[in-house]
Formats: sequence, C-alpha cells, structure tokens
Amino acid sequence: MRIRMTIVAAVATLACSVGLYPLFAGGRWFWTGTAAVLAAACGGLVSRRLRLPAVLDPLFGLAALLLYLTAAYAAGEAWLGFVPSPGSLSHLVDLAGDGWSAANRYAAPVPLVSGIGFLAAAGIGVVAVLVDLLAVRLRRAAPAGLPLLAMYSVPAAVRQDGVGWPAFAIGAVAFLALLMADAREQVGGWGRAVTVHRHGEELPLAGAEPPSGQRVRADGGRRAASGRRIALGSVAIAVLLPLAVPIHPRGVFGMGGGGRGRGDQTVTTPDPLVSLKRELTRLDDSVVLTYRTDDPDGPDYLRLYALDRFDGDRWTYSRLSSSAADRLSGRTLPPPPGLSIAPVHEVTTRVKVSGEVRDMTFLPVPYAPTRVSIKGDWRVHRQSLMIYSLSDSAGGRSYTVTSLRADPTAADLSAAVGYPADVVSHYTAVPKNIPPQIRALAQNVTAGAATARAQAVKLQRWFTLTGGFTYDLSTPAPQRGNDLVDFLLRSKRGYCEQFAASMALMARILGIPSRVAMGYTSGTQTQPGTWVVRSRDAHAWPELYFEGSGWVRFEPTPSGAAGQGTAVTPAYSRPADGGGRQGDDALPTPAATSGPDRSSASPQAAPHRNDTGAQNGLTPEDSGDGGWSAAPWIAGGVLVLLLLAVPMVLRALTRRRRWAVLSTPPQGRGGSSPPDVRGGVPDGVPDGGGAAHAAWREMRADALDHGLEWRPSDSPRAAARRLGELLELDEVPAEALGRIARAEELARYARTRPADPPELLRADVRTVRAAFAASVGRRARWRARVFPPSAMAQARSALRGTGLRAADLADRLNDLPNRVRRR
Amino acid sequence: MAVGTHGESFMETDPPASRPARPGSAGGGRAEGPAGREDSGRDLAGLARIADRIRGAVESVIEGKPKAVRLALTVLLAEGHLLIEDVPGVGKTMLAKALARSVDCSVRRVQFTPDLLPSDITGVSAYNQELREFEFKPGPVFANIVVGDEINRASPKTQSALLECMEERQVTVDGTTYALEPPFMVISTQNPVEMEGTYPLPEAQRDRFTARISMGYPSPAAELEMLDAHGGSSPLDRLTPVAHASDVRELIEVVRRQHVAASVRQYAIDLVTATRKHPELRLGASPRATLHLVRAARAYAALDERDYVLPDDVQELAVPVLAHRLLPTAEAQVERRRPEQVVAELVRRLPVPAPGK
Repeated sequence: MRIRMTIVAAVATLACSVGLYPLFAGGRWFWTGTAAVLAAACGGLVSRRLRLPAVLDPLFGLAALLLYLTAAYAAGEAWLGFVPSPGSLSHLVDLAGDGWSAANRYAAPVPLVSGIGFLAAAGIGVVAVLVDLLAVRLRRAAPAGLPLLAMYSVPAAVRQDGVGWPAFAIGAVAFLALLMADAREQVGGWGRAVTVHRHGEELPLAGAEPPSGQRVRADGGRRAASGRRIALGSVAIAVLLPLAVPIHPRGVFGMGGGGRGRGDQTVTTPDPLVSLKRELTRLDDSVVLTYRTDDPDGPDYLRLYALDRFDGDRWTYSRLSSSAADRLSGRTLPPPPGLSIAPVHEVTTRVKVSGEVRDMTFLPVPYAPTRVSIKGDWRVHRQSLMIYSLSDSAGGRSYTVTSLRADPTAADLSAAVGYPADVVSHYTAVPKNIPPQIRALAQNVTAGAATARAQAVKLQRWFTLTGGFTYDLSTPAPQRGNDLVDFLLRSKRGYCEQFAASMALMARILGIPSRVAMGYTSGTQTQPGTWVVRSRDAHAWPELYFEGSGWVRFEPTPSGAAGQGTAVTPAYSRPADGGGRQGDDALPTPAATSGPDRSSASPQAAPHRNDTGAQNGLTPEDSGDGGWSAAPWIAGGVLVLLLLAVPMVLRALTRRRRWAVLSTPPQGRGGSSPPDVRGGVPDGVPDGGGAAHAAWREMRADALDHGLEWRPSDSPRAAARRLGELLELDEVPAEALGRIARAEELARYARTRPADPPELLRADVRTVRAAFAASVGRRARWRARVFPPSAMAQARSALRGTGLRAADLADRLNDLPNRVRRR
Repeated sequence: MAVGTHGESFMETDPPASRPARPGSAGGGRAEGPAGREDSGRDLAGLARIADRIRGAVESVIEGKPKAVRLALTVLLAEGHLLIEDVPGVGKTMLAKALARSVDCSVRRVQFTPDLLPSDITGVSAYNQELREFEFKPGPVFANIVVGDEINRASPKTQSALLECMEERQVTVDGTTYALEPPFMVISTQNPVEMEGTYPLPEAQRDRFTARISMGYPSPAAELEMLDAHGGSSPLDRLTPVAHASDVRELIEVVRRQHVAASVRQYAIDLVTATRKHPELRLGASPRATLHLVRAARAYAALDERDYVLPDDVQELAVPVLAHRLLPTAEAQVERRRPEQVVAELVRRLPVPAPGK
C-alpha cells in the first residue's frame, strides 16, 4: 500500500504545481489540480491494494483522473455524472482543443477559461500519476523529480522571469521530502539492524560537550538522517555552484537564448531561408502585403528577420529570448543600435497584410522601427529590432509602423571607425573552418580599400558588376559551407540568398560587423504612395554596421530584369555618386589610400580593424560560433587556479598567524592553574604554553598534510612515539619531535609552563617537517605542499557549524509529518 | 576442610612486633633494614628511589612481570586495594606476599574458604573468664597489608565483611568501631569466576578495589629463570623489607600533592561517563571509580618521577581500574565482549584533552 509514500508523492506533486502560478490568471486552477492529484493518488492506492502488476498502476491512476475530469468538466454528458461516455469524451476533447488554442492565443498569464482549467488539471494529474508510479510503485524517488521538473519547465519556458524562488523552494523542499521518505522506507524495509556495533560519533565521546538534544534513533533513522544531509548538501551545491562558476553567457548546455537572462522562450519558426526560396519560386504572384508610406525618398526594404549567426553552413538568428517586458503595447521601441551621427528622417508606413498569408509570425517593417501599432501580443527583439509574436500571425492584419530611416552619406560611413565590443564579438564571429580561399578572396577583392565602407563598396561592386555573377533562381538553396565556396569560386550562379550570405560572410572576414537581413524589397508602386509587395519580392540582403550610422543595408544582388526585379542599391553604397553632400573621399581606388586622414594606415591592412583591436583583443575569427569569446574561459581558468591555490594559501596564512601570535613576548604565568576546565590555557593570552601549543599544532598540521595518521586519542608523547616509530626517524628529528611533544605536554598538563623559546620550537617544527617530507612518497609530499589536507580540514570544521544547522533544519522538516500526526 | 576457623591455619601472622626478630632486619633494622631512611620520601625523587627499591624487591620474586608489579605499587601509593585475578599457579599470592614483605609493616594473610565467617576477618569479642569482661580479639584485618587469598571462595556474607574495612578503613564489632592504621591495603587474589567453587564478588565489593590486575603466564625465559630461583629455596624467604610503613605514608602524601590538570580530570570524567553510556555495558563505572582512577593516575605519574598527571597515565590505568567494575549487557556477553575490550576501545576513541581552538 505504502500510504505514507503515496501521500508524500501527492504532496510533492502539489507543491511543485505551485510553480505553475505564473501561467494562469487567478488561483482556481490549483484546486482543480489538487483534486486531480488526489484522484491520481487514489487510483494508485487502489491498484496497489489489489496487488496488481506495476503496469496497471498508471492505468488505474489515469482512469481515476479521467473519472474526476469527467465529473468536473463533462458531468452533463456522462453517465451518472462521472462515468465517461462517448459524449463526455468528445466534450473533453473539444475542451482540450479550446484550451490549447486559448493557450496559444494568450500570453501568460492566461485567463482561466474552462479549457485552460481542464488542461491544467489534466496536466497536473498526469504528472501526479507519473510521480506516483515512479516514487511509490517503482520505488525510484529520484527519477520522480523529472516529471516534477517538467512542470517547472513550462512557466520557465513561457515567461522570462520564470518561477519565483519561493515557489521553486516549495517544490524543492517537497521533492526532498519525497527523497527522504523514500530513503526512510527503504531502510525501514531492512528490518532491525543486525549488528549492535555503533559508530564512533554516536558515542558521547565529544568530551565535555555532549550534543544537546541528542535523540537515540533507530539505525534506519540515522541512515535517513545522513541521507537528508546528503540531499541537502547536493541541492545546496546544485544551486550555489553555478552561481560561483563563471560560465559562458550562452549557458553550459546552450540554453539561455541570446544570453539575456533565464527562462527565455525560443521562438520556433520555419527556417526563414527555406521559406525564402519557396516564396521566390512560387509561380503565382500572390500579394503578400500592401502599404502606404510617406517616405519622400521612396520606401525602404521591409525586413522580417535579421540573421546574426553564421554557423559554418548557413545563416540563422540567435535564439530569441522573450518576455512580457518585450511587448510592444504602443511603446517606443529601443533605439536602433549605433545610429547617432547619420542624418535620419522619420517614416510612417501603414501596412495591410494579405489575409491569405499564413504563419507570418515576424512583422515586415522598414528598418529601424521606433513604434509599431498592431493588435495582439507582438514583441520586439531588442538587439535586432525584429518584431515577432509567439502566438499571433500577421495574416490579414493592418498595422502602422513609425521608423527612423538613416541617410548616411558616404562620408559618414567612411568616417566611421571602431565598433563597440559587443558588436564586434557578436557580429564578426566567423567559424574556423572557413576555407582559406574565401579569406584570400575577400582580401583580394577589397585590396586597396582603406576603410570599411570602401571595402563594403568594393564587395558590393564585385558581386553586382565585376565579379561575373549571374542571378539564377534555379540553384539550390545553399545547405553547407561548401555551397557558398562553390558559389563564390566556381559556379557564380545564385540568387539573393547566396549573394547576401556571401557578402555578409566576407564582410565578417574583413572585420566588418555584418548580418543577413531577410524580408521583402519595397515592391512595386501601384498608385502614388501605395505599394504592393508580392511573394517574389522576398529578398535577403546584408546589413553592415557602421558606428554612427548603425546597421546599413547593402545590395550585392543584381537587380533589374536579370536579377532581383525590385532590388535597389542604396545611394551611399554606390562608388561614384558620393551622396552629393560631400565629396566622396572613399573612392575605392588605390590612390584614395593616400588621403590625409588615412596616411598612417597601411594599404594592406584596413585601418578600422586596427581601431577595433583595442576593444577586441581576441580575434573573433578564432571562435567557433557567433558571440563566442575566449575571455570567460580564461577568466574561468584563472579562477579555477585561484580556487586550487586556496588551500595552500590558507595553510601558509595559518602558519604565519600561529607564529605571529607569539611575537608578543610571553608573560610569565607559570604556576597559575588554568581557570578554564577544558583548555588549560585561555585563548588569546600568550604565555609560556603558547609557543608549545603553536608548535604542536603546526606539527600536527604537517603530519596531516603528509598523510600521516593522527589519532585524537594520542597524547602528545604517545603521538610523538608513534610517529617516531612509524617513520623510523633519525636521531635529530626524533629529538626535535620529542622536544615539541614534551613542551606541549608541559603546557597542557603540568603546573609549570615550558620554557622553550618559540624560535627553538619553530626550528624543531621545521626539522620535523623536513623529516616528514623525507619519509613519505613524492605524491604525499606534493600534496602537502599544494593541497594541504590540514587546510581542508580547517575549512571543513568552519563549514561544519553551518552544515549542522542545515542538517538540524532537515531533521525538523522530516519530523514535521510525525509532529503533525501526533497532534 | 582445608582451613580452620581460627589461628594460624588461615592466618600467616606477621605482626609488626615480631618483625624485628626476622633475620636481616633485626637490630639495626631501623638503620639499614628498611633501607634509606635518610632519603625521606617527601619529594618526588625520594619517592621514586623508594618505589624503585620496592619494585626491585618484588621483582626479585616475580620475574618478568614489571607491569603487574608497577600496578601493584601504584595501588599501594594510591591508598587503594588490589585485586589480582588469574588462574591458579601464576604467582598471584606470590606477588601479594612479596609486596607485603618488601614493606616493613604488619601483614596478615587470610585464606578465604566457603565456611569462613565474617568474624573470622574482623575479629570477635570473646569473654575473658579472668577479667570477667568481653575482650575484643582483632581479626586479621587489623594490619597494614591484608592478603586475602582466593577471596571469591568465601560466601558473599564473608566477602562483604571486608566492605567496611576497605572503604572506611575501620571495623565495627559489637557496636564498637576500631580504626585501622594507615597504610591499609587489601590485596586479594581470586580465580576467574568460571572456575569451580567460586562465588563471584558482588559489584559493591568489586567497586572497592582500586584495580584488578591479572598476572598472565610468564614468558618462557622468565619461567626458566623462575625454575632456577625457586629451585633451592623460596625467594620470598630471602626477601627483606626495603621500606618502612612510615615511608609508605610519606609517599602517599607526596602522591596526594600531585598536580592533575583540569583537562586531565575532565578526561577521566569523560572516560568514566562514556562507560555509563556505552550500549554494551549494563553497568558503567561509579563516581568512586573516577576517584580511584585519578588517584591511581597520580601515583602512576609519581612512579614516573613526574609531578603532573598525563592522559597517558589515565589511559594506562583505565583497563585495570575500570574494567572489573563494569557489567556487560546480555548481548555483549553473548558476543563474548569483555569489559576490558570495551574500555580499551573507549580509550582508543576518546580524544585526549587538548587546548581549545
């Protein structure tokens, strides 16, 4: 039957279900969940009562759960109000469907419509069945934590703030209680302890301090207590260690989204690149959206995605972290990164997305949006200003976008030097396996260009004009890094994806922060101010970062009839026109490198890369994937080394302190009997015994460090005799050892204090230490130096107080059920 | 009927008065017999010298048992009583008599038998026909050293007659209390209780013995030596007193002044307390045991010419002083755990007192 375990398992499930609170508005779900847990527990109990095989255990639990759910949610359709009938079952299925769609429609906290309540109760109930099966029937309490943890993962995944620590603590305590109860049952099953032999620590041998409140427990109780201590310790380690260890912001297991906080949800959308190809090759020329714009310069591209990671094969975006704080809700969006100097003008765009568009969870908006008005739960990704939704689709919606359109001049771009460190680390990362030909190609194509802008212009020019590329939609989408190599070096046939990806990659090779943007070109104008974007306008283009201008679009894809029909090359990226405002000082001619503002730059090495050197001491090209940086690892290594050195330092400090206390001259206290019962010598008062105690402790620490056995029941002379015999010490160290022991003996037990001067004792300690070191093996010797166990013991004893208190707390927690029962 | 109720059959009388008549200590006994009256035992060095002489004298009779001899001497200096337990024939009585003889004091020997009466020990009031009054005839207990041979052969009633004498050092007969003259020491021998015809000593009686020692078989070499020594005449006969009763009194005074650090006192208490809480012991050691332990430790340290007591002394004495007072539980008896083992284990486990921090 295992009623006790059943109860504990049910309580643990309930306590963990508290963690679901961020998901729901209101608290009614908890009570339905409680009832579901009770039903599952009863099912399990009945099956155990009937002594059915373990397989049937969950079936009984699920059956009981179904009965409850039927009674609670489909009583009208059910026989007798709780026996499931086909009608009630279909009603429940409908309810589940409603709940599912509601869960997808609303962001957490979800209003508690009946479908949601049903789903919550069913989910909690299923977890309860699993926990009951694992912990009670199969007696595997530890794996029972997995379904419990699964419950936590739901709110943690949906909400950025995740679960508050009190809720987590409740669940953790409940799980611990489950483990403890299990350990107790298991040990209890062994019956009476066979041997009456007891361990040393159970004897009241601690001298004058018998542990207060010491209770005599059964042997099983002691084991359970140690189990509790272990459990408590492991939880403490599991919780505290990650805080102390420097880990990569992305997280050890690649979790943690874009490295911005925990509890992020990864937005799963169809691979943007795949959908791009599909849209481009669609035969029907369906309208994706229409928009009106007040931009006098003609509309800019509409961007859906910003792909910031190149993994060696293809471009993707970093996982998005999402929280309620990112919701648009009519607020002004974060300022576009890097845009400070370049002239801007504000553009308002009214977009109407066609009703036939499905699954458009990213909004096409002109860069850089500052304000988006749209219904539904839409969020912004702060770094890239992508607008996306976790639950809604843009299909059929109308929205208004206010955006800042930057009009950088060629001079602005040319003058941009240096990048913020985070931009460099994130947007110039190139995998190591990039073939050297591409690196060489990037250098060759941009040879002679002195500024980032000149390099970018040269690249764009090479792609569109001089490189001999052909726009060809029939080429397969690049799947691997080799496809890009093939495109760049051999076939030179491709469509916007290849062009954009290649240019962004080459820009990164050259040290220019870049990413691939995806979305739509401006489309075609149907009437003044009104534009239509069709599926064939889907496009990909590189965005390069220039300090002061932010992310700037380039257009390496050929445009016009032989290319992407509606693609437009931005003015600032054209080599000849220079933007008309200032003379273009960045002409991509070798002569331009002699310009006065770049006189110090070598023609071969782009100066902007030198500029970034200070901020980017580690070459991003060495890194494996986007945003990887070696600094945390080095810091972690240093920290590990420091941690390893702690025992050594601790030992040295202790040694210093012991002798330093003696530097004050001893005051004659000989003859006076020690006032204290235990100590013999009161703390902190230096007297003749101080040196002896210090020498003795030092010697003991040395013995421990060298792995020599030290028995607490040995008196000084017994210890000295034993060590001398054990190590077969020579005469000199043996005498030194004897002197130390005798001084300590006198200091501890005699009326008169030893008269040995500290210096002599110190020398003796040194002699003895050398003798210890000489008589043990090399390993023990090094351990004594580097990892002295005495220092560890010291730290342990310091921790012991804390540990005892924690263990006491655990004891009390474990006793709680008993106490409650007694009442 | 091995032993009579009265007279020399159970008493080997060595009254002090007859002592000077013994060869070797006659006449100049004061000058030379209990040798070295000049180095009084008032200080530690003197104590060690005298103790060494006694030890030497005893060891001339008991070969190869320095530890037992030292323990016996310790008990003498600690004003305690000694119980020597071992199988017959290993020299229990010899040790008792040798110790008694090497000190120039009154020695009485009582052979305990099942029919021995309490009055045979304490003495009787007999009606004196001539004086027409009751006259107290002191029993063998009125001596400095009383050797009780095979004490566990006597009935419990007789055994307990020794109780008052041993603890309070006085004898009450017919309402009159007679004080015993210090030093007063009972040295008893007994056979292990498993032997035939023995009554185990009651706990109260055992608690009054400061220490119980066992002789053990001598080593082959010592046994050979013993054969040579005992071949002609008993070495006991050749033994002459090497110390006087007053010397012993002074030595006892010195021992009383020994320094016992508070931590060592606490250590002794811890040790005794541990026996009371030990799961394998039905009966732990009494507070009297603590007292005896510390007293014996003082004497033991003094024999080492040390004026302070070490935990080592307590450790050395723990088994002889404590073990005979303990009663193992039934389970422990089934497991054949002996109290000696328990005490030794406690000594091994109990940390010695060390200064704090």
